[in-house]
Amino acid sequence: MTVATGPRLSRRISEGVFLVFCWIATLVAVLALAAILWSLLSQGIGGLDLNIFTKSTPAPGSEGGLLNAILGSLMMCAVAMVAAVIVGILAGTWLSEFARDSYYGKVIRFLNDVLLSAPSILVGLFVYYILVAPLKGFSGFAGAVALALIAAPVITRTTEDVLRLQPVALREASVALGAPMWRTILAVIWKAARAGMLTGALLAFARISGETAPLLFTALNNQFLSLDLTKPTANLPVVIFNFALSAYDDWRRLAWAGAMLIAATVLTVTVVARILAREPNRS
Amino acid sequence: MTTAADVSAADVPTPPRIARGTGLDRAFEILCFSAATFLLTALGGIVISLAIGGWPAFEAFGFGFFTSSNWDPVQEIYGAAGAVTGTLVTATLALLFALPLAFGIAIFLVELCPPILRRTIGTAVELLAGIPSIVYGMWGLFVFAPWFAKHVQMPIMMSVEPGSFWEKITAGVPNGAGILSASIILAIMILPFIAATTRELLLTIPPQVRESAYGLGSTTFEVITKVSLPYIRTGAIGAVMLGLGRALGETMAVTFIIGNSHGFPTSIFASGSTIASTIANEFAEATDRLHSASLIALGLVLFVITFAVLALARLLIGRQVHA
Amino acid sequence: MNVQVETPQETAVLELPPETVKLQIKDLNFFYSGKQALFDVSVSFAANAVTALIGPSGCGKSTLLRTLNRMYSLYPGQKATGQVLLDGVDVLGPRVDVAALRARIGMVFQKPTPFPMSIFDNVAYGVRLYEPMSKPDLAIRVEESLRRAALWEEVKDKLKESGLSLSGGQQQRLCVARGIAVRPEILLLDEPASALDPISTARLEETIAELKRDYTIVIVTHNMGQAARLSDHTGFMYLGKLVEFGETEQLFTSPVTTRARDYITGRFG
Repeated sequence: MTVATGPRLSRRISEGVFLVFCWIATLVAVLALAAILWSLLSQGIGGLDLNIFTKSTPAPGSEGGLLNAILGSLMMCAVAMVAAVIVGILAGTWLSEFARDSYYGKVIRFLNDVLLSAPSILVGLFVYYILVAPLKGFSGFAGAVALALIAAPVITRTTEDVLRLQPVALREASVALGAPMWRTILAVIWKAARAGMLTGALLAFARISGETAPLLFTALNNQFLSLDLTKPTANLPVVIFNFALSAYDDWRRLAWAGAMLIAATVLTVTVVARILAREPNRS
Repeated sequence: MTTAADVSAADVPTPPRIARGTGLDRAFEILCFSAATFLLTALGGIVISLAIGGWPAFEAFGFGFFTSSNWDPVQEIYGAAGAVTGTLVTATLALLFALPLAFGIAIFLVELCPPILRRTIGTAVELLAGIPSIVYGMWGLFVFAPWFAKHVQMPIMMSVEPGSFWEKITAGVPNGAGILSASIILAIMILPFIAATTRELLLTIPPQVRESAYGLGSTTFEVITKVSLPYIRTGAIGAVMLGLGRALGETMAVTFIIGNSHGFPTSIFASGSTIASTIANEFAEATDRLHSASLIALGLVLFVITFAVLALARLLIGRQVHA
Repeated sequence: MNVQVETPQETAVLELPPETVKLQIKDLNFFYSGKQALFDVSVSFAANAVTALIGPSGCGKSTLLRTLNRMYSLYPGQKATGQVLLDGVDVLGPRVDVAALRARIGMVFQKPTPFPMSIFDNVAYGVRLYEPMSKPDLAIRVEESLRRAALWEEVKDKLKESGLSLSGGQQQRLCVARGIAVRPEILLLDEPASALDPISTARLEETIAELKRDYTIVIVTHNMGQAARLSDHTGFMYLGKLVEFGETEQLFTSPVTTRARDYITGRFG
């Protein structure tokens, strides 16, 4: 009587090599993340004091913080998110509830997916061309438009995805009571999908809060504290870019502190969004 | 006393049967439709504005804009070939590095990962995708490049034979910045995207398919290479293209670490430029009309390349996974 | 010859006395993007009675039900021809206000479909669409509807809690309450108990029997015991055709058509 001897040696070797490779690949990714986070912490923590939040960006050699950049980023992101949420939710709703399998719907869905991962710097060029050049001036508003154009496709896609997950019976149940379609969508479908839609908005926010390229020639930068979005507006990513590549040590320290701030924000928002997405749709 | 239950439907006059706001249905649909069309307009607007804005450059240099690598703002001569080559080379190298690793991670997460680690490692991969590009840039320039120069670039440059082919393609300033470093940073950046999409694709394989392969006595390696990967082939190619699309258009990280010199890259350690890094570096200061037109024309080239790649990617991936 | 050979009929549809008819279907054909799903269905449903529709899956019984409140017009590509007369008015006609029609015809679905809002708001949802009502009036209407759906006692202390927090059987009765809160004339029930356990099913059946006093009820069910227990009339459908329609007792004890007989005896052993 023979006993099963298991795979032949060559098979066992390729299996072993393969398994080890998969482990190593994963280890590489985890180590890369750890290395980046460690750099951010070790380099950024030194520059992180109260000045960061109370003083504006300094001239080289003098004391300062990032207040103007933080405020500018917050304002632009807020304006961008309001616009992107409105456009994205409506567009996603159209794709899910009205377009169905129409040809035009397929075209828009496809182009939105492309827009979703299009190079953000091109969005910056576009906004420069339609807003900055004609109005003869960089402005925080132009920056917000660029960010909105990046966030809107993300929200459109997630909105469509979560609306499609809602059971058909839920729509029919509302319609069967004689409710018009718009009320059905607003009061029932959006409500049922709100956790997923919030996740989409948070992911979009995470995406734009670190975006630099589209702001380089829209919002530009501003050395001073300004709440006027019609003027060039300081923002964290561009300040980090400029300061990091400067020759001054105190500017670089501020750049690291800013990078840590941004990374912490983005990662926190990402984690919160993922946790939200995992929660079942409870009310 | 009458309680609510005593009132039967028949006792009450029939209420008016017109739902309030029924007429708004059409208006709401048009509103949603407009929002969707707005997105289409935005994409169209990008193409059109790049085409119009870049036109003077095409007009001035003709086809030479694509073939010349001479980019000289002082003499007002602009050729895109260097930046285009830099873009294609860095993106391709990045893909070569990222591809096996990303597949390895996806397979690890689906097939090998102990359940307790799955969520943690899955989140770690997602976070890697979430780190802003400018952070990658800073980390690349200040942390990775010095390490890379000391532990990779110098040993290689010391060991190659002078005058050989190897010396030529490894020539460069040993500061850690250049084509290869940029490619590696890009690889780390696109790694999580390819891994996440591939993982979702692997999860779409019906369990019976894998189980029947295991049931025949296959090893994990055999199941993956002979059953799982062929099963998701189309989507996996799409995932790779999606990664490529991101690498092509990535701006800030590359701008930090590629060294920013114009012309054809001459070796893997030499500095170079990509389309995106050139635009990022020069556009805000391009006061000269032809200079900014040339930069916008570069943008159009980038748009065409990435659009082709991303469109293909989307067609291949389909809609069953969220990427 | 005095031995009568019983020749089984192809179809047998009982005509109801016109004065009892609430809903009359004439020559109804239905198409899913070109594919025909209902063939020349003609039948009447009596007022204040329960009519059951039975038949194997895919026979068109749910399709027939969904034609009655024009649920199909949500989907382009689905089309009905023929007539469905509600109190003599054709609801398939082009000038019918579909929303208003649906308010006259309530519907309860196979799986419970509570809306993601409080129990109170679930019931009030449809009422608010049509009748501007003061808060106390609305509260009375909600209580009345919940009582009639035999749910009041179970939820009266937690009206503010989510409708999704209820058990499956409670959710289904909540959907019934929601449907009757708008005071429809007809209730369509599409396999309302198929997702429920036996106890919840029994409670739901009691509710339906109770509601018969005031409503015209049409119920689609795959459970023939349920059809027999609940209904006054039963229609047996097969492959998109109405094969036999008659008094429930007659149809279950002495079906006239071969198909109905095969189906019923096959099921009962």
